[in-house]
Amino acid sequence: MAEPVLETRGLTRRFGALAAVDGVSLAFAPGEVHAVIGPNGAGKSTLLAMLAGELRATSGSIRLAGRDVTRFSPDRISRLGVGRSYQTANVFGELTCRDCVWLAAQSRVRSSMSFFWPAERYAEVGVRAARALNACRLADRHTTPARELSYGEQRQLEIGMMLATEPRVLLLDEPLAGLGHDEAKQVIALLQAVRADRTLVLVEHDMEAVFAIADRVTVLASGRVLETGTPGQIRLSPRVREAYLGNEP
Amino acid sequence: MKLRVLLAAGALALLAPAFSGDRFWLQFLGKAMITCIFAASLDLLVGYAGLVSLAHAAFFGISAYLLAGLSNQLALVNPLLTLPICLLAAAVAALVIGWLSLRATGVYFIMVTLAFTQMLYYFFNDAPGLGGSDGLYVNDRPRLGPLDFADRPTAYAGIWIALVVTYLLLTRVLRAPFGRVLVGIRSNEQRMRSLGFPTPRYKLVAFVIAGALAGLAGYLDATLYGFVNPAQVGWRQSGLLLMTVLLGGKGTLYGPMIGALLLTFIEHYGEQVTTHWNAIVGAFVIAVVLLMPRGIAGLLRGARG
Repeated sequence: MAEPVLETRGLTRRFGALAAVDGVSLAFAPGEVHAVIGPNGAGKSTLLAMLAGELRATSGSIRLAGRDVTRFSPDRISRLGVGRSYQTANVFGELTCRDCVWLAAQSRVRSSMSFFWPAERYAEVGVRAARALNACRLADRHTTPARELSYGEQRQLEIGMMLATEPRVLLLDEPLAGLGHDEAKQVIALLQAVRADRTLVLVEHDMEAVFAIADRVTVLASGRVLETGTPGQIRLSPRVREAYLGNEP
Repeated sequence: MKLRVLLAAGALALLAPAFSGDRFWLQFLGKAMITCIFAASLDLLVGYAGLVSLAHAAFFGISAYLLAGLSNQLALVNPLLTLPICLLAAAVAALVIGWLSLRATGVYFIMVTLAFTQMLYYFFNDAPGLGGSDGLYVNDRPRLGPLDFADRPTAYAGIWIALVVTYLLLTRVLRAPFGRVLVGIRSNEQRMRSLGFPTPRYKLVAFVIAGALAGLAGYLDATLYGFVNPAQVGWRQSGLLLMTVLLGGKGTLYGPMIGALLLTFIEHYGEQVTTHWNAIVGAFVIAVVLLMPRGIAGLLRGARG
């Protein structure tokens, strides 16, 4: 395997007596779509929040492109090229779609702490924002306030905001949760389109989707890694079947 | 566009009394314009960054007391010196208080800013040489060549210029990338962080800008009245200002200014009608906040749309 872009070693997070994530060591290769699955309470979202810098590790370490980022703040991790989406759509409700991606794009230029010229003057931000809005297929809704979008569109917008920051690694927490069949198809198509040159870490419940787009799958149970492998290997693994898939109706 | 015309007309109308020389109106409207500056600066925090601060009177007071000190102790009367010194002092105080209070969020942030305001209130009230609850006179008001700001029309004109500059400056800042970041923080701070914005830094910068402008209001107040006292520094003052911002409509800049003008009038004429005028103000504010959550500015916007 190529040098991993993101890597955890013995990553642990305790809440009191409970180890939500317990000694997880994983390596995410550049360009791969790596799904993390597991039953409820397996620690998937906790793991993702730690990778994004939102939750401090109790012990263990996180390396991003070889650099120790275990104690970095979320904004610093983001600036190092890690994008993040949340379990429920997390956008700026009162802002228009265009302003949402605009803000995201603005985070990547040094001009954010500037006070004098109107924001529209910063053409590079506009270009990036427009590109991201096209990529998430919301260009025709650019004047719509984000809160007036359908839930599926909000998820698209969230991915657009993430793309506007031009990340190398995308951390996606259940991007399909709460979506209808057609909306889910839209978002899956979107993920297929953005995966080029990027590493996707995907926490997802929708097995069909996971097996369709993931290159590799890690199964978590009670905060520990049960198994990592290709979708085919995972599907056939007796341990996984017992711990997880067997419980699925 | 219509709003701009209205604001420009309002600004010109406020300039007129400078030529009338009527002492009462100069002082009355001068005070009202100072409150406009004060309220607009708080709106940057409350209405744009989503930071409800009760420390704002502290920066007003620090600057006002410092002007009195510079004048009385060091005989410094040149506003080209005293104004930057006072604004800088208010900004530094805002930097320190902001740096400490912004570690807390929500209601805890409000309480920490309240605690700082009260600390300063008792400092100004009890420190020897600061005149206790009577406060201090500013023996020599700012003076520059032929311009003597003890002269009311001159002070009034100075306040008018300060108000216009403050408004233009704040609108400029809010339209710039920095202003957009503040709105993003108000809307969803967690998301701003995960997009890569070091949000604490932006909040602190906003706090310092607002604190310096509150210092400008304090400086002008001490110049207009020629005295300072601890009541201007206390939490009551901060609370009243917060009410002004909510009454006028937060997040609009001009709304809090309208609120400031209106409250100054209600206070003045209410006082003539009854000694319980505060109750009138209270009832009015409650009615506005309940019936028009977006304040007077919301009413104007509704009428336009």
